[in-house]
Order: sequence, then structure tokens, then C-alpha cells
Amino acid sequence: MTTSRTRALIAALRHQLGADDPLPPAPPLPKVEPPPVRVFPTQRSQSRYAKAASAHTTALLGIGHVGTRYATDVVLQFQAELAVAHEAVAAELPDGWAADNGLLALRSRVTEHREFLLRPDLGRRLDDASLARLRAEAQRGVDVQPILADGLSAVACMGSGLALLASFTRECEGRGLTVGTPLCAKFARVWLADEIGAVVGARVAAILLGERPGLGTGDGLSAYLVYDPKVGRTDGDRNMMSNIHARGTPPEQAGRRLAVLAQAMLLQRTSGVALDLSSLASDLGEAAGTGYRAPQQRVRLVEVGS
Amino acid sequence: MALKATIRGTSYRFGSIKEVLAKANAAKSGDQLAGVAARDAVERVAARAVLSELTLAELRQHPVVPYEDDELTRLVEDTLDEQAYRAVKDLTVGQLREWLLETTTTGARIRAVSPGLTPEMAAGVCKLMSNMDLMVVGRKCEVVVRANNTLGLPGRMSSRLQPNHPTDDVDGILLSTREGLSYGCGDAVIGVNPATDTAESTAEILTALHALMQRNEIPTQHCVLSHITVQMRALSELRCPMDLMFQSLAGSEQANTAFGISVALVDEAYAMMRELGTARGPNRMYFETGQGSALSSNAHHGADQVTMEARCYGFARRYRPFLVNTVVGFIGPEYLETGAQITRAGLEDHFMGKLLGLPMGCDACFTYHASMSQDELESLKVLLGAAGCAYLMSLPVGDDIMLNYQSTSFHDIPSVRGLLQSRPTPEFDAWLEHAGIMRDGRPGPRFGDAEAIR
Repeated sequence: MTTSRTRALIAALRHQLGADDPLPPAPPLPKVEPPPVRVFPTQRSQSRYAKAASAHTTALLGIGHVGTRYATDVVLQFQAELAVAHEAVAAELPDGWAADNGLLALRSRVTEHREFLLRPDLGRRLDDASLARLRAEAQRGVDVQPILADGLSAVACMGSGLALLASFTRECEGRGLTVGTPLCAKFARVWLADEIGAVVGARVAAILLGERPGLGTGDGLSAYLVYDPKVGRTDGDRNMMSNIHARGTPPEQAGRRLAVLAQAMLLQRTSGVALDLSSLASDLGEAAGTGYRAPQQRVRLVEVGS
Repeated sequence: MALKATIRGTSYRFGSIKEVLAKANAAKSGDQLAGVAARDAVERVAARAVLSELTLAELRQHPVVPYEDDELTRLVEDTLDEQAYRAVKDLTVGQLREWLLETTTTGARIRAVSPGLTPEMAAGVCKLMSNMDLMVVGRKCEVVVRANNTLGLPGRMSSRLQPNHPTDDVDGILLSTREGLSYGCGDAVIGVNPATDTAESTAEILTALHALMQRNEIPTQHCVLSHITVQMRALSELRCPMDLMFQSLAGSEQANTAFGISVALVDEAYAMMRELGTARGPNRMYFETGQGSALSSNAHHGADQVTMEARCYGFARRYRPFLVNTVVGFIGPEYLETGAQITRAGLEDHFMGKLLGLPMGCDACFTYHASMSQDELESLKVLLGAAGCAYLMSLPVGDDIMLNYQSTSFHDIPSVRGLLQSRPTPEFDAWLEHAGIMRDGRPGPRFGDAEAIR
């Protein structure tokens, strides 16, 4: 009799498990001590290790742990940093911003922000109105065409973008190069520089644009330069510089370095993998970035009740 | 064969097996960008129905990139294990799914059949599987490899320590490494993505990491993820220690050309590692892949990104790698837009790689312009762990300060291990216990104390 055997088996198991509550009573109420303070490291609250770490890296080290997880303060700082990055991604260049800052306003074929993220192909070409405006108003046949753009951080573009554009323009002109009408492109990807450069007949196109935000930072700019710009250029045809911000390469220094790069492209009549950079080290000097140490301190974002 | 199915009286016709494979794919922004995705959910099911009736032999006869045009297709075709292939060739893709899920189909049986499968077959069956299907079979697959330690044993989950630094400051790299080790991370590899792609900088970082591993007698591997030609120069000319050699792979010859590699070049690198590599072996290579990389260089040949990803694994398995890692959310929202898409892709890649015999890890991650929350990312790490993923990444709070994206943290690794009752590789496990970092598989007295490592 299968059924009765099953019943007997379960009855025996029940007996073995006992008839009382399935859990023993809770232990006597413990004294719940507030845990020791563990905070996101700042200059005034650092372990010896975190202090050593902050001299060498912005990596978030020496934050301790609660079990295997983060302390509450670390969680909140982390969430604040994440929110800052997301805010930078979601920001858009206001429509009047370019004109207010004396730049010729252009935009790509992208019509709204989500499309900008999902359709890089549309961000690489100008819309019809921008193409007409560029043809009508921009100077032709220049050595270098600078283009300021939002890229993936309008916050960075509006932050140190103007300083980088000014420093790059000044450094180019100081080297005797002709510089085109200052432009600003919205919803722009790197390759948009190819079409713009071709339309104005520039020998070098330089697009300065907001880079993909990092945790707690949305202020980084990258620059991409290409010789003889035209639609169909690939990444191998370009030279780039990233991490242009206060903790990386500051705009002043970056502008000089990029001007040296543009000059080399004009001399060698090429760019990208074909460009020989070996002779540039001495020209770059301080701009080469060797020996420069940006401050590595990570900024605390949240203060309660202050 | 008629590539046709009818749903509620509407009939759907497909022009090619490549089109069926693409339209059967779970919704991905990258397939939409490529213009190969199903137009709606019903057409997707119709494509899956057609796919389920195709035989594995038909998939072999119709690779998504023709034999004449592509060295990866030729590599797969010319080196396929014919005996293993004959055992499965008459199964339909739907039957392969069921065979893989059967209780009687053990990991050992899958391992025997694996050399007879082409990437298109792995991709095809993947498209018929739900996330939990992918996890159940992924967990069954047996892939165990050895370099300085032994990775992929049951009940084990490892991690790559990723102490990247924006200017390759060696002191900064070592500080992050020490802290990561103190959380039990780094048994898959201590692997640095360099900011500067030079042989000198590669050798400098490898030498410093090697010294740290020697000083503390740590049974793990190290690697600097510069371009393969740069690592070959560091190894052959500068003679630095190098446990694993790294390269990113793509799923077509054309896409690999954009990466500056070919089968011949990786063959040469592999031979060099067998001669000069410093790990005990026999496995000495480390590859990274990720859905969307072929499309990003416009070298996808009209195929979907899951199939192109599987073709990377067809390339990788030639070299018996110690690690293969799909960097699932790094490429951006134009390829994988949301948490659901990134989660799905991570489980797909893990499954396809394991099915093709590779020690798959996953960089479960997002960039800050993708629509994935931190909570969704934490969930994916647990799903991958439950699916038997060989290893995850580990960084301070998951924040890569050089590449600007969010991945797994030092804290996540012991957390996932605790949830799933899993341990690091046996050799590394013993070292952690000896160093007091872990005690009986739980955090020990020196847990999280970077000063435990000199």
C-alpha cells in the first residue's frame, strides 16, 4: 500500500522535526551597540591606508565594510555620485547657449535625447538647416576647424568647453595656423566633425566634446582631431585626447597639446595611426603631460544638516 | 526548406537562415540599429518557430558569413570535430534545446558534444531559451582550466581584480590590488587595463604585480590588457613576467581587422606564450568579447549581435584560454539599452561560451548613459553566480576610474559567494584562509584589511 507507506514516512518525519514551534525562542534581548563610525574618506576622516591611497588614486579605497557590504554613509555618497553622473548624461544644451557665447549653432539629425543615445548614425550627420547655415556663415579653407559639442555630457561642454576652445584657438593662432569660425554642435557624435570639416574645407577638424560621465563626475571633455576630414573617415584616421578636466589634463594644458598635434598633422599631411608622434615629445614639453600630477582627492558630495 | 510560419492566420516568411536567426533574437537596441531585428513580438515568435525546426546540419551549411569571405567561418568549418558533429547533426534546434535541458544530459555529455557545435548552433539554441533555461544549462556545463590555480570547479566562483588607474600610477594600482585581495578578490586574474598602450608600461605594471604576488605567495595570475602586439613586445623583447596574454576578439575577420588582429597573429602570440609565459598552465590566454562589437566597426555582415558574439567563442576556443570574459554592458545603450537587455545578454553570452567549452566570466556592468539601475546590476551578479559563471570583475565600489563605468565591487564578491555558498579557486581559498582574510569560508580577522598584504 503505497499511500499508507507515504503517510507513515511523513508521520515519522514530523515526529523527528518535533511538535513545538519550528524555531527555538529568540535569545535574551541583546544590547544593540551603535556600530563604529565608518565614513566615506575625507581629509579629516581617513584611515592610514586611505590617506596613503588618496595620494595616488581617486579609487575609493579604505572605506571599510559592514559584514560584506558598505557602511550607510558610503552608500549615500555612492548614490550621490551615481545621480551626478546620470544628471550629466540627461542634461541638454539649451537652444540659445551657443549664440549667447558667440558660437555658430549647429545640430545633428537627432531630434531628441533618447534618439541621441540609440542612433549614433544620426548624430554623425548635420540636419539640413545646419548644413545651410554652415555653408552660408562659416569661413572656408582654414587650417583648423574647431567644433565644440555636447557629446555625452552637455554639463562638461558648458563647463570647461569654452576654456578649452579658447586655449586651443589661441595656441593654434600662436603657431601661425588659421582657425575657422567657432562652432557649437548639439546632439553630436565624434564623426560629425568629418562632415563639418569637409563642408568648410578645413585641413584639420577638431571636435571638443563631453565624454561619457564617470561616477561623481560629468565634467570631462575629449578631443578628436582628423586630417583632411570627410564623411567615411574611421577611428584609425583620428588622434584623440581624453580626461580633459581639473583632475586629469586641465583645459589650458590640453589646448596647447592639441595645437601641437594639429600642427604635426599639417606638417605630415596625415593623422591617426599614420601620424608619427615620436618627434613630438620635445615640442609637447609640459603639454606632454609627463611629470604632471593632478590632485587625486575624491570629493565628498553629501553633508547632512550643514 | 521553407522559412515560413503562421500565427493566427498571418503568415511570416523569411528570406534566409541569417534573417531567421536575427529576428528570433530577444529585443536588443543593437539589432534595431543594424536594421535586422523583428518588427514586433509576434514576428519574433514566428522566427523562433521556424528556427526551432531547422536542423543543426542546416545551420552548419549556412554560416552567417560565407566561408569564402571570412577566416573565422573557415576556422570553425575546417576544425569542427566531425565525430561529435555527426552525433547531433540531425537534431533540430528545438530538439537541441530539449536535449540540453534533460536531466540525463550531464555536463560531461555536453562536453563530449561541444567540439561538434558551430557558433551558429550555440546562438540558434540560445534564442529559443528563456533566461532561466540559459542559467540551468549554463550551470551544467563543465569547464575547468588551470594556470597558477584551478578555475571553474563546482561550488567555486572567482573574480578578476581590476585595479585600473587613469595614468597607470603603479603605486595607485598596487594600493587597489592590496585592498581587493583583502576582500578575497583576484583569484581569476589581477588584470589591469592600461591607459598607455606601450610595451614599457605593460612590462612595468606586470613586473610590479609579479613582485607583489611573489612577496605574499599568492596563487593567482596577472595580466595587462594592452594590445596583443604590445604584450608580445613586452614578453619577447623586455622579457617581463606574464602569466596570461590578453586580446579582445570580434566575430568576423573584418571586425578583427579593425581590432588589428587575425588568426595568424593570435596563433603566433599563443605559441609565444607557450614558450615564454610564466604561469604553470596549460591554459595561458585571456580573451574579452561583447555583443555589438562587430556592428560598431560595421563588420556584422547583416547578422544579429548574439550570433556575432557566438562567433567570437568559435575563435577563442582554438587557444584553450584560461579566461573568456563578456564585457556585457560596456559598449553602450545603442547596443544594449536597458537593464533587461544587459541582463539577458550576460546570461546568453555565459551560456553560449560555456556550451562551446569556454571558461566564461562576465563583466556585469553598465555605462552611465544606459538605462540600468544599481539594483538591477546587483541582481545580475547573483543570477550569473547562480548560473555557474566562472568569475566576475572586482573594483573599489565597482567604479572604474579609468574607463568610467560601473561593474562589480570588492564587496560584491564575498557577498555573492555568501549568498550562493561558493568559494574561490581551491589554491586561492587556502591562501585566503592562511592569511586570515577568510576563516572557514566566511570573513576572517584580516578581512577588508589591505595591510594584511605587503
